[in-house]
Formats: sequence, C-alpha cells, structure tokens
Amino acid sequence: MSNTAILAAAGSRKTEYIVEKALAAEGRVLITTYTNENQNQIARRIESKVGTIPSNITILGWFTFLIAQCARPYQLALTGEPLVISGLNFKGKHHKFAKKANLNYYLDQQGGMYREDVSDFVVNVNERTNGAVIHRLENIFDHIFVDEVQDLAGYDLEVLDLIMSSKISLTMVGDPRQHTLSTTLGPKNKKYRGEGLRQWFAERADRCDLQTRDCSYRCNQHICDFADAIYPALPPTKSIDVSATDHDGIFYILGDDVPTYFAQYAPVTVLRNDKNANTYGLPAMNIGVSKGSTFDRVMIFPTKPMLTYLQDKNHKKLKAPERLYVAVTRARFSVAFVVPKLW
Amino acid sequence: MIRKVAIRNYRLFRDFDLELTPGLNILVGSNDSGKSTLIEAISLGLTNRLNGKLFAQELNPYFINLDATKEYIKDLQEGKQTPPPTLIIDIFLESSDETEILRGTNNVHGEDACGVRIQAKLSQDFLPEYNAFIDTITAIRLAPTEYYKVDWLGFSGNPVTARSIPTTASVVDPSSVRLQAGVDYHLQQILRTHLDPKERVELTRQYRSLREAFGEQDQVKAINATLKEDGESLTSRTLSLAIDISQRYTWENGLIAHLDDLPFQFASKGEQSALKTVLAIGRKAKGAQVVLVEEPEAHLSFSHLQLLLKRIQEQCDGKQVIVATHSNYVLNKLGLENMILLAKQSSMRFADLPADTVRYFQKLPGFDTLRLVLADAAILVEGPSDELVVQRAYMDVKGKLPIECGIDVICVGLSHKRFLDLAVRLKKRVWAVTDNDGKPLEHHQKRFADYLKHDFITLHVGADTAVKTLEPQIVEVNDLATLNTVLGKAFGTKEEAIEAMTAEKTESALAIFESKTPIVMPAYIKEVVGE
Repeated sequence: MSNTAILAAAGSRKTEYIVEKALAAEGRVLITTYTNENQNQIARRIESKVGTIPSNITILGWFTFLIAQCARPYQLALTGEPLVISGLNFKGKHHKFAKKANLNYYLDQQGGMYREDVSDFVVNVNERTNGAVIHRLENIFDHIFVDEVQDLAGYDLEVLDLIMSSKISLTMVGDPRQHTLSTTLGPKNKKYRGEGLRQWFAERADRCDLQTRDCSYRCNQHICDFADAIYPALPPTKSIDVSATDHDGIFYILGDDVPTYFAQYAPVTVLRNDKNANTYGLPAMNIGVSKGSTFDRVMIFPTKPMLTYLQDKNHKKLKAPERLYVAVTRARFSVAFVVPKLW
Repeated sequence: MIRKVAIRNYRLFRDFDLELTPGLNILVGSNDSGKSTLIEAISLGLTNRLNGKLFAQELNPYFINLDATKEYIKDLQEGKQTPPPTLIIDIFLESSDETEILRGTNNVHGEDACGVRIQAKLSQDFLPEYNAFIDTITAIRLAPTEYYKVDWLGFSGNPVTARSIPTTASVVDPSSVRLQAGVDYHLQQILRTHLDPKERVELTRQYRSLREAFGEQDQVKAINATLKEDGESLTSRTLSLAIDISQRYTWENGLIAHLDDLPFQFASKGEQSALKTVLAIGRKAKGAQVVLVEEPEAHLSFSHLQLLLKRIQEQCDGKQVIVATHSNYVLNKLGLENMILLAKQSSMRFADLPADTVRYFQKLPGFDTLRLVLADAAILVEGPSDELVVQRAYMDVKGKLPIECGIDVICVGLSHKRFLDLAVRLKKRVWAVTDNDGKPLEHHQKRFADYLKHDFITLHVGADTAVKTLEPQIVEVNDLATLNTVLGKAFGTKEEAIEAMTAEKTESALAIFESKTPIVMPAYIKEVVGE
C-alpha cells in the first residue's frame, strides 16, 4: 500500500518522520501543511540536515498547493475563461444565497477564491475534466507528504481521497488531539473533524495504512499522563528518553509568585490563549502559534474552562481540549499553571 | 521543443497560429511577412526579454497590433465599453518531466497542454486611472500601454521564472549586433548555455580571483596609497580603487570572446553570426533548446554560408532550429520539406500541400517556388510569350513593370493548379491567365472551381472559343497595319500574321514588349492589368 497515515501523540517526532522520509524518497516530492509556521519549520529542518532544500523537494502551504497546482491549471472548466483566479481570499465568504453553479460562489470580484470553497472547487474541476487535475499531479509529483493533517477539513478530505486513489504515494501525519486550527469551517465532513479523523482513516483501511505512535520523545511521563487524561479514550502515551531535572511535572502557582517562579526556573516560556490574558507583563506566546515547538518549561495562563477542568478533571465538560493539550505538551520537563487560588 | 505558437495582437500578428516540428523549421516570406517578428515573439515568450531587457520595461503602444488598436478606438468612439487589446504569445511545449509543471488549459485554445505565455493586458490595479483616462481624453490614437501589466505565466496559470522553463532560446541575429555593457547580449546568452554548469562556475571563480589579485599588484597598491592620502582631507574613511567583485559583474560582462586575438565585435559580421550559430547549435549544456537563426545568408560569403548550413544540418538533431531566410539557396540546401511560408500574417507548411503538388515543387528549382511566396501578388501565365505580353499590357496601363508594384509574372506552363494550391494557403492575390484551347469559359471555370471560390483568385481566359491561343487573340483585336509596325513585318493577311507569330512566339512577344507603338490587348489580358 503506497498511502500511509500516522496519527501520533505530541512529541512523537511526526515532522521529523516526514522530513526523513522526504529526503530518502526517490522522485519528486511535495511536502505540504496548513500553516506558514510549520512550512518554515520543515524547511529549516531539511536545511539543518542537508544544507539546502534538494531540487526534487517542494514545500508548499496547503492553500498554495490547492490554488496553484490544482485549481488554476484547469480553472477554465469552471470559469469559462483562462487566468481568472487571482489568489486566495482568506477572510471573505461567499454570499449565503450564492449558487454553486455560479462563479461568485467560489470567487470574489477580484478573482480571489474563498477559503471555504477552494478544495470544493478543485474536486469540481477534477470531475469536469475527467480527472485532469489529478493526472497532472501524477506527472509532477511521485510523493506527497501532508504534515498536521488534522488541520484539514471539509472538502480537503475529498482531495486527499482523490490523491490516495492516484499513482502518487500519499503520507499523512498528524494528531487529532491538536486540532487547534482548521482550513475550513463548513458543514462538509464535519464528523471527521478533530478526533473524528481517526474514524475517517479507519474507513479507508483498504487504501491507506493507518499507524499510531503512542510515544513522546519530548515530554516526561508526568506531562504525558496529564495530557492523556484530557483524551481518556485514546491510548496512553509513553515517554521515551526524557532526562530528569530537579523540577519535573505539573505545578500550580499564584499570580503573586509569577515573577519569582519565572526567574527561578528560567528560561520559562509563557503561553496564553490570546492577547487578552494578563501575563503580568511577561512576554507570551499564543497557544495556537506554539504548535510544533518544544520548550524546556512552560508557564500557562489558563482560560476559565481550563481552570474548571484543572479543578474537576472532567474532560467531558472541557470545551476546547485541543488547546490545553497543545499547551501542556510543549514542555519537556515542567508545566506551571497560573491559578487564582490553590486547592 | 516548441510544438506550436499562438500569437494575439503582437505587432503585425493579430491572430496567428503556427505549428513547428522538431529539428529544422525554415521560415520563408517577403519582407513584411513577419519572419523577424515571429522569431522575436518566440524568444520573448521563452525568456520574457527583448534585446536583453525585461518586456515590461520595453512595452510600448507599438507592440500592440495596430488593427486591434484601431478597432478598440473605434469602439470607444461609438461609446462601447471595449477593453484595450490584450497582447498574448502562447508557446506550446512538448510534454516532458520538466514541462509538466507548466501544464494546464490557460491558453488561447483552452487546450490541455504544457507551455508558457507572455501576456500584456489592462491591469486591474489601474482600472480607476484608466477609466478616468478614457473619459477625459478625446483623441486616443494608441493602446494605453501605461495601464498595462505584463505577466509571464505557465499554462498552469502560475507565474514562471527563467529557471522554471526548461526550454532555452538562443537567438542568432546577424543583422544587428546588440551591445550590452560592451558585450553582445545574444552572444552572452549563447556562451552561457554552451558551457556546462561546472565550466561556468570555474570561469566565475577564476574571473573573481583574477580581479581580486588586481588589487594586490604593487603599482595598484601605490596608487591606492596616494588616493588614501588625498581622501583623508575629505573623509575619515579610506578611499581606494578596486575591481567590482559583486555578483553583477561576472565573467559574462567582463570577458569578451576573441577571434585570432581580435575582440569578437571587430570580426566580420558574417563570421560573428556564423560562430554564434555554431556555438548555439553545438551547445553542451543539457536541456531542450531552441535556436532561432535570422537570415544566415546575411554578411556571409557563399563558401562560408555553405559551411554554416552544413553545420546546421549536421547538428540540429535533437534540437529545434528555426531559421528565417530570404535565400532560395538556403531553402534548397536545408530542404523544401522543412519550409514554412509566411504571408499576410498567416502561415502554411510546405508539407501540408497536396502530395503531388509537394512532389512537383520538389523538382522545381527553389527559386520559382519562392517567387510566389515573396511577391505581393502574382500573374500566372503559360509561357514566356504570355509573360512578355502581360508585362507590356501592364506597362501600358500603369506606366511601370508589374514587379515594381510587387506583382510577379510567373510562367507555370500547364501547372497553374500547383501554384494555386500555394496561393490559396498564402491568401495571395493571383490572376491565372490561360489559353482557352477551344473550350468555353464554363469549362475552365469548372476546372478551377476549387480555387475560384476564393475572391483573391481570378481566372482569365479568351472568351471566343474559335480563337484558341494568345497570338490569334492578338491578331483578332489589332488591324494589320499596327501588327506590321509593331512586329516590323509586312503581312498581307491576318492568317499570315497568325501563322508567323505562332511559329515564332517568343520573338513576336519580345517585339511587342519592346515596341514604341502599343498594340490593342485582348480583353482577357486587359482584365488582368485593368485593376
């Protein structure tokens, strides 16, 4: 089977796996992922291994891939004239009464394609051209690697289906627990979003080899256990080769103690949900942005729902478990939650 | 390899399509048929450059087809919302691993193909300014290219770079040696592609170390020391002279090719172009390549030309060579079967003619074929006597020879149809003049029916079936006295005159041609020259 999906825990070296496979692959390789941050991360890792990015490897953002290599070449089938698509309209949405048969369903006045509709357009054009889109991809890529596959949603999954049925070997890695971002928010394939992705792969067992990695080379066992508790239905994670320090595990501190703690265990990376969090003047990183990164120690300013979870540990009531999961699993040794009172 | 070129609104090409074959393609056409423009367009499509400069910097209203511009202006005057003409050059490339990334249907034919496009069209960014411009300016004469945007795209719809196009173009143009920073741009390009990457890197390295060494020379050091002292009064920094070793000044700009120690540009133009052609064709660097040669015959002696053509033929294997020529010699040497005729912005491949017509022309000397191609219009006659009489008839009416008006009178014997096959495809104005041979007009019209449905082809036959050929037709409409004066004879009867003229056709025709006294021309000849 030439298609593989690997669902794995945080710190299981998913991106590393992709980089190694891509460098070892023969033929032309595409590596794609949703965020710019992760694209840069992949490029940096390849450069650190072999100096420059080999000429057979192309790294593209998921939307750049869809628009430049799938939508534009055969747009004629839907637009009726060439060179209509100018780029991506990331923020806008088609009018709620727009009809799919009309071009304004997909494109704004300037030819910008609505984010929600890009992969829908691609699937549509491929159908109208009797598979020319996928055939073209077969001629330019032998392998496609998708990192952070849990970010893909809606019609993106149909595109993955088309690639899986082609001559191209498709490798996807991701962690359903880290579904903090989504390419689209439409109703299509909604049940496969986040944790549902595992089910989606399971239904494709005939085309795609599903593997899981339940180990972490990043977090110590304390942190793994804490993170696993957020998703009790999934297999537990085993920490591998993480050294011990004099301050390991999960800690709770009061706001007044923040400066002292921050100084005592420096360097500590401060994580917050968004810029509304009061971090006592410390420079902080948004949790969403931190995905893919590793830090020795983190200090988390939790949201209200997170605080409730920290007290009652009821994962069923936790609204955005993926954010807490991502935040906690950034740390190798210690996680400190800043709480209003100790319990 | 280029499979096909489609041009819209580029200079004299309003709507032009041309298929090319691997190997040799020979473009033949009269002076304004667009041979050079076509070569320029192909090179532009593959490089986004004109004479070494980016097309966006070179674009001006005269690049936009004038007819298209006129139509656009007329529409504006009539209050129609017509956008200004869009310039398009689509280059369709052979499919290969390297070109597949350029695949898509974003081309003028909507064809699923690999290829690249140069396009210049009204920029959406300038729409407000453009609208203000057409509202306020009453007299627009030219396309408003200042509001245009130039895009260089693959048929995939994505922008391309010189690197992403696997096909390189080398232009060999002997008529103008273009200088850029002292070195001919085209030569630079050719040299660059002739060498393999390793050789290029080595040259760059050596060139740089040589320049660096310049500053180490004792004399240079001494001069720099003086400069430093002089400079101290003006600035606290050190002033010195060194050769620029930044990327911009690589060996390509600094090194000049020499022939027998003579800088390349001082060699004869013929030798320059021959050498460029040889370098371009014999290049080592890998990759598909198109060599565009303009008029190899220019500036070259016959023997040099012969050598050059031999090289072209021997080495064009696996490359695509496109040669534009005026020379029937070049055409014959390189093979009629590779010929592409250009006329009136349309084109035809010689090989697309009917098979028996191809065979006919292959037996003819190339010159006769070319005459029809190169002329603006042609009068086809059966033999030399018809030719002379028609020429004289033309002189009598217009006061000059037909050839002075771009009209060639060609003797074709009984092979009118062969030439008409050519004329149809070239859309060339042709008058076919033939004897009636005792058959009525309808008979001849039927015989040429396929050709006569084109309004640019007309048939001219003597109407009176009792008078079968030219000589009796002439005798018929002239009195005996005129004939005797013109021919310098003393015929007693018209029958006598017919007999003598038919026996010595060419001599009589020559006498008519040279005579001070004009004769009355038969009606069907008048038709031809009357226009």
